[in-house]
Amino acid sequence: MTTMTANTTQVYQLYIRATPEQVWDAITNPETIARYFHGAQIDPGPLEVGAPRRSWSPDRTQLWGDNTILECDPPRRYVHTWRSLYDAEMAAEDESRVTWEIEPAEGGTSRLTLIHDRLEGAPKTAASVVGWTYILSNLKTLLETGEPFAAAE
Amino acid sequence: MDDDLVFKALADPSRRLLLDRLFERDGRTLGELESQLEMTRFGVMKHLKVLEQAGLVVPRRQGREKLHFLNPVPIRQIHDRWIDKYRAHEVSALLDLKTSLEDSA
Repeated sequence: MTTMTANTTQVYQLYIRATPEQVWDAITNPETIARYFHGAQIDPGPLEVGAPRRSWSPDRTQLWGDNTILECDPPRRYVHTWRSLYDAEMAAEDESRVTWEIEPAEGGTSRLTLIHDRLEGAPKTAASVVGWTYILSNLKTLLETGEPFAAAE
Repeated sequence: MDDDLVFKALADPSRRLLLDRLFERDGRTLGELESQLEMTRFGVMKHLKVLEQAGLVVPRRQGREKLHFLNPVPIRQIHDRWIDKYRAHEVSALLDLKTSLEDSA
């Protein structure tokens, strides 16, 4: 661990053997999200700008995130705020932003790019979001094989 | 992701240096990267292209600038596929060695 501060814009990209519509469903459908995102339970609700995106622990006792949808353009672009409420220090930090971009790519694949930015006021969150690599690898495995590679934690 | 492209990209010290520079501070222009390295602009461009093809660097336009970001996902996938497995194997091999040495002592 270095003392260096984590970057305030972080980019994660991967190719998934699935259509943009399938990837869109995977990032917005609460039932699918629970299968690759630590068992997170997302409250069902409208996918529209200004709507809440609230997520809970698997047993729904702990609020993990109370975010807002900023942009919604299926099946290409989905943007929402981010604040990690499961940790007191991160919960006290400024809100950051998560952008999902889906583009059709060669060979029946889709290119998924996740940009986590506006992390200037959230240094602890910035240092933790490399965890997206785990989430995204899990999402890819789920879409390509029908099963996540790790049991939900 | 194509493992061959990732391993090929990582096999060059200049390209690993570029990744380390981006790890320190992400989202840099070609000009910034060039000024940090003892390399011509053409050399940096050439190496960035190899890194982009391997998915290790993702270019993004921001206004007039083209910024280069380190993408850690392929490294994670290499880790899951190639390193985790052998690390577990290595640990158990060492444990077997310890057991056999202690048993024969």
